[in-house]
Amino acid sequence: MTECKYDGLIDRYLLNRLEEGDRNEFEEHYFNCASCFAKMVERDQVIGVLKRERSVFATEERPAIEARTAAWHDRVFAFFTPKQWALAGAAAALLVAVLTVTPLLRDTPPEFVMNGEETVRGGSLTLISPIIDIKTVPAYFEWKKLGEDVEYQVSIYNGKLLWKTSTTDNTVSLPDDIKSRMIAGQRYSWQVKAFSKQGTLIAVSSRVQFTVNPAN
Amino acid sequence: MTNSRPEIDLDELVLKYRPVVSFRVRKALGGATPDWEDVADEIITQAIEKIKNGEFRGESSIGTFIYTITSRRIVDHIRQKMRVLRHAPEPSAYPDPHETVESRERAEQIAEAIKGLKPKFREVLYLYYFKEMPREEVARRLGIPPRRVSERVNYALKLIKKGLKK
Repeated sequence: MTECKYDGLIDRYLLNRLEEGDRNEFEEHYFNCASCFAKMVERDQVIGVLKRERSVFATEERPAIEARTAAWHDRVFAFFTPKQWALAGAAAALLVAVLTVTPLLRDTPPEFVMNGEETVRGGSLTLISPIIDIKTVPAYFEWKKLGEDVEYQVSIYNGKLLWKTSTTDNTVSLPDDIKSRMIAGQRYSWQVKAFSKQGTLIAVSSRVQFTVNPAN
Repeated sequence: MTNSRPEIDLDELVLKYRPVVSFRVRKALGGATPDWEDVADEIITQAIEKIKNGEFRGESSIGTFIYTITSRRIVDHIRQKMRVLRHAPEPSAYPDPHETVESRERAEQIAEAIKGLKPKFREVLYLYYFKEMPREEVARRLGIPPRRVSERVNYALKLIKKGLKK
């Protein structure tokens, strides 16, 4: 059977995809071209079977073809089963909730109990230096300033209170006599409490430990 | 006076054009239309009468002559039906209630041949013919160039044909 210029129109004709002009031209052609007509009848039989006899595509094969050949967005959805998608969605929602709620919880002002009766609220107080082991006795202690008219009470401990002082600045230098009492290898800790102008406790830092370790 | 009318073997004409006319009528009216065979018979009869009456003068090919009669008769038939039904019957794609035993056997052979194809060929036939996706869409889904879709379809058809000859 020789190749005819109308050969490419057979499928389009049988699948009703030709415009009227092309369709009429092709119809007239196959009334005159035994070769094209024979080819078209063969093709029509095959298409007819494909359309009618769904069993030619095994029941389990059709969804497989669909899944394998789905468009990219379909493929993305087909990547997991609906149950897996549900679990993934729940996990994502939980993660979002944790990430959203945690900072809120972190920002909740701490509560301080004063004399067992009075409760005040305050912000957190961040220590800057020293916060890790150091080689020499620190010349000064520094923390993050909270605002104006705030008095800070700084306490240094070596198991028990070693030194305590107050200042309105956000740094404090150690007196020489205290420096001389600090020895290598000893573990120390320090803490800062902030008071308002009226003397109300508004913030307390955590107690940070450090060791003076010249060997390091 | 010389008779210039072309000599036509009417038996041969019926043998050759009846399937063509039937195909065209069935495609236009749909295989579910009960009287498509009557319409095809009428067209063949009409063509023979016109030839006998000398209406075919060889100005066009005999194929075009019969095609013209066929097209006009189909249009007339649809108009007649529209008067009754208000709407012309929709040509349905592939219903085949008049399927003969012979064509049924043929269909079974084709089905077996299709089942014997490799999945990649069944896959392309499924998308192109069953789902009626355009060639470009099939290509996109399979991740192959459109040209390869045509090649696979044509090769699958050849394999089916080969399977039928066994």
